[in-house]
Amino acid sequence: MSEVAQLLVNGLVAGTILAVPAIGFTAIYAVLRFPNFTVASHATIGAFAGYVANTAGGLPAWAAVGVAFLVAGAAGVVNDEIVLKPLRPAGALTAAIAAVALTIVLENVVRFIWGNDLRGYDLPIRRDWQWAGLRIGPQQVENLVIAVLAMAALFLFLAFTRTGKAMRAVADNPMLAGIKGINADMVARLVNFVGMGLAGVGGMLLGLDTSIDPLTGFRVILSVFAAAVVGGLGSIPGAVVGALTIGVAEELSLLSLAPAYRTAVGFAAILVVLTLRPRGLLGERAY
Amino acid sequence: MSDDSTRISRRAMLAGATALSAAALAPRLARAQGGAIRLGTLTPLTGAGGPYGPPMRRAMEWVVGEVNAAGGVLSRKIELASEDDQTNPEAAVRAARKLIDVDKVAAIMGTWASAVTTAVAPLCWESKTFLTTVSGSDTITQLPHQGYLVRTQPNTHLQIGKLGDFILSLKSKRVFVLAAQTPFAVPSQKRLAEVLGKGGSELVGGVIYDKDKATFRSEIDQALKAKPDMIYLNGYTPDTTVVMKELYKAGYTGAKIAQGYAVNQKLLDSMPAEVSDGTYTATPSPAVDSAGYKRLAKFLGTADLDPYSCQCHDHASLVVLAIAHAKGEATGTAIKDHVRKISQGGGAKVDNAVDGLKLLAQGKEINYEGASGPCDFTDTGDIIDCKIRYDQAEKGKFKQVTIL
Repeated sequence: MSEVAQLLVNGLVAGTILAVPAIGFTAIYAVLRFPNFTVASHATIGAFAGYVANTAGGLPAWAAVGVAFLVAGAAGVVNDEIVLKPLRPAGALTAAIAAVALTIVLENVVRFIWGNDLRGYDLPIRRDWQWAGLRIGPQQVENLVIAVLAMAALFLFLAFTRTGKAMRAVADNPMLAGIKGINADMVARLVNFVGMGLAGVGGMLLGLDTSIDPLTGFRVILSVFAAAVVGGLGSIPGAVVGALTIGVAEELSLLSLAPAYRTAVGFAAILVVLTLRPRGLLGERAY
Repeated sequence: MSDDSTRISRRAMLAGATALSAAALAPRLARAQGGAIRLGTLTPLTGAGGPYGPPMRRAMEWVVGEVNAAGGVLSRKIELASEDDQTNPEAAVRAARKLIDVDKVAAIMGTWASAVTTAVAPLCWESKTFLTTVSGSDTITQLPHQGYLVRTQPNTHLQIGKLGDFILSLKSKRVFVLAAQTPFAVPSQKRLAEVLGKGGSELVGGVIYDKDKATFRSEIDQALKAKPDMIYLNGYTPDTTVVMKELYKAGYTGAKIAQGYAVNQKLLDSMPAEVSDGTYTATPSPAVDSAGYKRLAKFLGTADLDPYSCQCHDHASLVVLAIAHAKGEATGTAIKDHVRKISQGGGAKVDNAVDGLKLLAQGKEINYEGASGPCDFTDTGDIIDCKIRYDQAEKGKFKQVTIL
């Protein structure tokens, strides 16, 4: 029993961190209607930006996460403006393929600057708290808090601010939003900034508990994609539900599967959900 | 009359055909004898092997540069075509195809990860291209490679046998294996269980994990449930970094041992010393006292060479000498047939390609002993013996424990 509880705890922590880049991915999909796989490289860029802020700048983890958000977000806007925006009129598939190519290019830019070596944040490594046969790390709890705060901030932004409402309007019906005088270009830039910023935060949160290298983002992109699809592509609460589902499912699979097959759980989840509920758990239009 | 004319024209045609085919063949023959010898390097410049690939490639470029500066192999220059295997079997297969089909190399040298070598080897033996590798998995030399493969890295059987002996000497009683998903994960675990069992110790369990995951908390829970006093971390650097941090966080205080390619100085630098302190590492030891090692160290600008650069130095030297021994026939088959004639036996000992080429030119037999060790191969392409160096991490630095 305590084994299942421990796996649940691990899964919820992993899922919450996964939810952050998954929200970014799905938000960009909602507005721009294509799967932007550069979430992978922007997660890496965020992780490295946070790393520089933390080790060279001496910022504590929570402040470095802010830097990760800003740098990854800014990079997202620039990259979209130069590379993906001109290709978007050619269709979602073209843009998606271009995004795959761009993510490989960006990953190698990171590699060109920092090399292949593993880097760890300048943080003390603390022993886990043990409680009733369960264990949880202080860093995990901190990551959990940062992830929840980031998500809460996004929900408040979307629900209560004028710009947030404009973003939702464009996602819902771009033509109607245009008639109402909402500048679609500005909204596209904004969603790129927020989405890639969240990807950057996700990359850094992943690295805080482990270590970072140019492949940090690439390693999680499948799980991020699975989370977004399972929850319903384009639905922000869906991304959260999807990420928690994938996180918990990957951990609970260990009860019956060898750990080497854990990645297959993401694929299996996509298959099952697309077969039974093609629009995802929450459907694509849930807010 | 008509008969006659037919005969003449048939003769003329024959002569013409012969002349034509001779003309067509002539440039090829000339190129094969006088043109450059093309060899390929396939090293991990990116991915988990990224820290090792660049010096491996430089070591091979250096050997080729020295040979070319000394006049080449029987007056033919050597050209290197270099590709990145990305420590990824799919990328490696694409790169190997390019080396074989476009560059038409006689040998591919330097594959590092066992999964990469396993993927590339069939392309090599099918196209009769010689393959030299530093991968350790037992399964590699068990492939039906028909002799087109040798490796300078001790295989899993040899390495893990020695590792088991070392663990026994530390008097560990309950050993657990945390291994990344690789071709050598299962054979390592079996071999370790065998050696430990004979020595009065026990392998209490093992977990093979997917190395691309960001966290291994659940795997570590499984390991700690077995209450081990020694954990063998059989992964690569990125995943082992995470595993070591998580073992520390989980409160594990027992001993740890890992391969030197996984727990290296870069790993120690990336974490606080209290996490890595006490970890043992096992590294196939290059021939640190040999002249070949010292020269390579001087060229690469470091006193402490990694074993793979040394092995790659030997790959390039062995291939060049085998071609010279085959009277300049630069084909995979010639290298296969001649590599053991210059690497072992009763010939004069040489530790570099340039000296070897001189002796071969004088008609003498040679026995190459390189920077990595004696380079003597079994019929299946394994090296016969090796030395292993054991270090222990102490305050973020390695301290040598022993060489066995």
